[in-house]
Amino acid sequence: MALDKILLEILGNRFTGVVEEMGYIIHRSAFTTFVKETWDFDSALVTRDGDVFAYPRSIGVTNMLSMNLKAAIDCFDSYEPGDVVLTNDPNHARGMATHLPDLMTFRPIFAEGRLICFAWCFVHSSDVGGIVPGSITPHATDRFQEGVVIPPIKLYKAGVLDEELKRFVLANGRIPDQNWGDINALTAALRTAERRVGECIARYGAGEIERVIEGLLHYAEMRARQVFAAVPDGRYAFSDYLEGDLLKTNHVRIKLALTVTDSDVHLDFTGTDPQVNAAFNLPTHGMLNQFIVLGIVNFLRTSDPEIPFNRGMVRPVTVTLPDGCILNPTRYAPTGIRYTTALRISDVVMGALSQAVPSRIPAAGSGQFGLLTLSDLEPKTGSYVVHVLQPLQGGSGGRPGKDGIDGVNFSGGALRNAPVEALEIDAPIFVRRYELNDAVAPGKWRGGSGIVFECQILSAHAQISSRGWDRFLFNPWGREGGAGGTLGATFVVDRDGRERPIPKIDVLKLAPGETVRIVSPGGGGYGDALDRDPAAVLRDVQDGFVTAEDARTDYGVVLRGDAVDAAASQALRAAEGRRELVDFEFGAARRAYQTMLPEAFQDLVVRILESEPAGSRLYLRDIIYSRAQESGLEGLDDAGLRQILADLAHNSRRPSLGRARTRTVRS
Amino acid sequence: MSRLRVGVDIGGTFTDFAILDEETGRIRALKYPSNRTRPASSVLGGLQAALVAQGATAEEIIYFSHGTTLAVNTILEYNGARTALLVTQGFRDILYIGRHRLPDVFNFFTAMPAPLVRRAHVVEIAERTLADGSVALPVDRAAIAAAVESLRAFGVEAVAVGFLHSYRNGANEREAARLLAELAPDLYVSLSSEIWPQMREYERTLIGVMNAYVGRRMETYFGDLQTSLADSLGVRATLLSTKSNGGVMTASEAARRPTETLMSGPAAGAIGAAFVAKAAGFSKIVTLDMGGTSTDVSIIEDEPRYSTENHVGNFPVIMPAVDVTSIGAGGGSVAWIDDFGVLKVGPRSAGARPGPACYGHGGTEATLTDAFVCLGIVQPGELADGRVTIDKSLADAAVGALAEGLGRQPEAVAEDILRIATSHIYSALVPLLARKGVDYADYVLLPFGGAGPMHGLLAARDIGFRKVLVPANPGVLCATGALVADVRRDLVRTLHIQIRDESRDEVVNASRAAFEALEREGGAWLEAQNLAYTRHRFHRIIEMRYHGQSFEISVPVAPGDLDGDDSRLAAAFRKEYAVIYGQADRGFPIEVRDVRSVAIGETPKPALETLSAAASDFDLSAATVERDIFHDGRGQTARFIPRAAIGLGQNIAGPAVITQYDTTTFVPSGYTARVDRFGNLIAEADDGAR
Repeated sequence: MALDKILLEILGNRFTGVVEEMGYIIHRSAFTTFVKETWDFDSALVTRDGDVFAYPRSIGVTNMLSMNLKAAIDCFDSYEPGDVVLTNDPNHARGMATHLPDLMTFRPIFAEGRLICFAWCFVHSSDVGGIVPGSITPHATDRFQEGVVIPPIKLYKAGVLDEELKRFVLANGRIPDQNWGDINALTAALRTAERRVGECIARYGAGEIERVIEGLLHYAEMRARQVFAAVPDGRYAFSDYLEGDLLKTNHVRIKLALTVTDSDVHLDFTGTDPQVNAAFNLPTHGMLNQFIVLGIVNFLRTSDPEIPFNRGMVRPVTVTLPDGCILNPTRYAPTGIRYTTALRISDVVMGALSQAVPSRIPAAGSGQFGLLTLSDLEPKTGSYVVHVLQPLQGGSGGRPGKDGIDGVNFSGGALRNAPVEALEIDAPIFVRRYELNDAVAPGKWRGGSGIVFECQILSAHAQISSRGWDRFLFNPWGREGGAGGTLGATFVVDRDGRERPIPKIDVLKLAPGETVRIVSPGGGGYGDALDRDPAAVLRDVQDGFVTAEDARTDYGVVLRGDAVDAAASQALRAAEGRRELVDFEFGAARRAYQTMLPEAFQDLVVRILESEPAGSRLYLRDIIYSRAQESGLEGLDDAGLRQILADLAHNSRRPSLGRARTRTVRS
Repeated sequence: MSRLRVGVDIGGTFTDFAILDEETGRIRALKYPSNRTRPASSVLGGLQAALVAQGATAEEIIYFSHGTTLAVNTILEYNGARTALLVTQGFRDILYIGRHRLPDVFNFFTAMPAPLVRRAHVVEIAERTLADGSVALPVDRAAIAAAVESLRAFGVEAVAVGFLHSYRNGANEREAARLLAELAPDLYVSLSSEIWPQMREYERTLIGVMNAYVGRRMETYFGDLQTSLADSLGVRATLLSTKSNGGVMTASEAARRPTETLMSGPAAGAIGAAFVAKAAGFSKIVTLDMGGTSTDVSIIEDEPRYSTENHVGNFPVIMPAVDVTSIGAGGGSVAWIDDFGVLKVGPRSAGARPGPACYGHGGTEATLTDAFVCLGIVQPGELADGRVTIDKSLADAAVGALAEGLGRQPEAVAEDILRIATSHIYSALVPLLARKGVDYADYVLLPFGGAGPMHGLLAARDIGFRKVLVPANPGVLCATGALVADVRRDLVRTLHIQIRDESRDEVVNASRAAFEALEREGGAWLEAQNLAYTRHRFHRIIEMRYHGQSFEISVPVAPGDLDGDDSRLAAAFRKEYAVIYGQADRGFPIEVRDVRSVAIGETPKPALETLSAAASDFDLSAATVERDIFHDGRGQTARFIPRAAIGLGQNIAGPAVITQYDTTTFVPSGYTARVDRFGNLIAEADDGAR
């Protein structure tokens, strides 16, 4: 029987209504503050095979569209109406859950005596146990420090709650009541979804619904293929780094070769650095994961805003994720802050795509999401109170046809900032500045600016901590001759006004009266600044983003009072001639790093280390990199490196009689 | 001499009039073409026409209230005054950082809403008030003098002042205003602390900016209108303006506080709907206002719901307003076929011009309205005294082109357009109701606007509303709202204190004192409106939240909640929280953010005309025409009945089409309609349907 395309459109809309209704039910009835504030929850309708066929457009965390439920579904031989499965386990769910705070639930929907589909939803719990409150810390070195692991379990069997499982799950976190409140919100949403889908089935029949579900996936796939078909065939290679300073290692490279063949896309991450001993690993199990294809999905949504939001859109995409790399770590690797890694994966995908369709991809944005919190001693109770000061993101990259967005990037859309007035009432701080950074990356389309946040500490017991910072060393890349984006930076100003730069904040204790200033990164520029419309340069000068001097040197624009001197500008631009433009401007620091450790050498090291156990590769890599940095690449070829590994293996089995060997890390 | 109340609503295409004769309780509707460049002329022209039709004179008008979209359009179209902004040093980008959110996180080419003030026109002033309201650094004359120099160089006509913590102590803003008045008396100045003194520097400053941006223009408009109504027509009633909060204020007040009119149009519609519903004996209502370009929804539980999270374009507006949400396009939604042969409806709209193809204004694309025409449900001919003419051949051609592309019958495609449009309403409305905590099984759908009655019952049938109320004058419900609204002003004071110990009374005492101060201010304001017919009362609301959350819930204060200790207040909060979110936490600390007072000058409500009970007065069958329509997949015969011919006690089973001056109501099969004694149509799902 042919697919009814009218019904496809009608039910597509209706299913969207169902998953959005689920989202609002979760938002209304979930308990934890975090859930309500950040919309860190999600809902979907999923096929028997685990594909998302309906996904919300206006509510939720927005990045789970490409997840696959199959592994979790397959954990049970059979289902009954009324079953509710709960899990947070990246292993059994094979990368559907990617860190433990995400409590995920799903429920089978039956009709005419057979399983039709599943309703699925999750919330990010504020605590699931582990070594720190909140469960997430960059310093976790294995999964078990990050909280309780819940393999898929039937919390409800045929509608009956398993009280023992409930007790067990809740006993393993610091906020049992709130977690139970959130789980109730999830089950309420699942019940509603079952009822709503039931209404559709009653109206159109199970067979028709099944055909439409497959039709919707196929429709999204066809639309995605239409987008990919317009991308020139070819192999596009790109790499970018997570900065190593906070990870206490050398920079971690994510390497990609993106191949387009007709309308098929393959993402090969061979050459990506080993898994890390910190919570930045992404547990994909080597399969296509929602966080691997974020950039692809957003590219599709940008190219075709009408594309149905379902997993059909990534059917043309396949992946290679080598075992033991940071994107496919071993079973118990810590993963709490995998979102920082996901942002960099997105940059890498964009960088590769950008070579294929340069006019459709922006330069790199700030590529990070820093969250600044302050904990202060409550004098009465003696306990610490935590205040979230500001989420600090930074500008987007310049875009072909448009400047970058100031202060905000695409990656952190959901989290709102806090009013400064509220901060000053709630937290012991005095905010001196909360502004855009005046410095922006030049380009025909300039980069979006970063944000400057500066506050004075007014308590003797306050301590600032933060996570998520990156792009403090390697600039967000500029494109097609545009400059690299501005770097993030942190300073402390003492009571006498003396200022000193400090490294990225992990934990920072300040004396009362001291001031901390954080500058978030800005996006890269797009296109040659000499091609920028002089009127736009004038506007930037008037608006304070460009000085008259920089207008002349960076943009070749001469100003006379409040106007562009067109003749002088033309002459100056002509005199500059055609500058040699680089495709990607990575900035001085990355160039210097790669001069010392060329990418080909990094490739070689990654390849050689493949024979070592995944858990020790990073450690061995850092030893090799230290040697390279100290005494150059001489002798560090295939054979030389194997020799080093053999020596290390040999030496490590011998008791050391002399001075203890220390590990050197370049920061 | 009769006593007339006049309500006016200026829309993009039509200026609507609802004129109520207090003696008979009869409401007359009139639609008059809007003059976009000179809106006051459509008010005058329409009023003249209405008076002629009524056989009345301007002296008989005892109440004149009108709503204008001038302020909101000035902002949406960015054609207000060249405006500057003075801010606290260090916070230059208050308008650009905003709340740090992108309009569309999935689109690499999304644009932030262009600000109303350029960065170049923001002047930082070395001044500072601290969180406790003390002035750490007063405003310096030299700084303002230097700022004035800059403002001169920018060539601005208006300036807004938004300083940190001015909600608590506006002294520095007032000092700046005093100096500006002295040094640059020609500038229009708005202070954030005067317009809406609530904590939240971005939203408060933005309100000040909007006020400055539209201020002069609104001042001129209201001045002109007042003069011409009095001079050329002899209207003696005080000119009133509708407000976003569903109330009214005098036009002279509206000229000072134009931001309070930003969402007045949709608000008046909800007020009109609430009035009609209450008279008809319904308390729980979901309204569906479908016009040519938008579809708006509001929820009424005796009174409309209010919200402090409103938007004008992409700008947030935190002043309380009737909670109206736009859920998509309306009758002008364009139907089209995508590259994969899938029929789509919207999101693009044919707008006011060219509008649907059948209007004959040059549109060739099929719209939702064209589909109704093609199905035979909306008849060709003239609507609203010939101000719209419908040409069926144009509708057929437009739908026919799609049908050819799909290889199907035009009628079938026309019905598919309806079904798809309905599925869009479903996918927006059902989640919206979940968000608002509405179990719509208990609610009555009230469609209005030009296209609402045409599509409303189809939507009801699909979504599952068993009962539908179509008001007697669905095309002019906003104007009806304008003539029954109360005088109303919201006032706010931010307290921002935490309930630390529920057995103490710190918070209730502070709240009570704040309410008393606000009620003094509100009482004085009501007096100053100088409207003898109003009865004054106050409504108390406290905005509360759990510590750490960034949104508040509005807790109505019942008598007694502020007597005794803080535990009463905490209990009231937890009760309200549980109503909204299903559960509440006993142990979690609670904060009072703002206290809000609503000063209400209640206007006497008119009694509506009722139909005579004698159904036999009407000869329904003589007025009824049977025509062929295409409905539910087949050709059927439907009865076409003029609205006025339906008497009490007569049941009209679907499919039927009920026609009147400005709109067409379609009763699909599965529903049966009757009229109530006020002339409203009440349609109910037949048993067993759905």
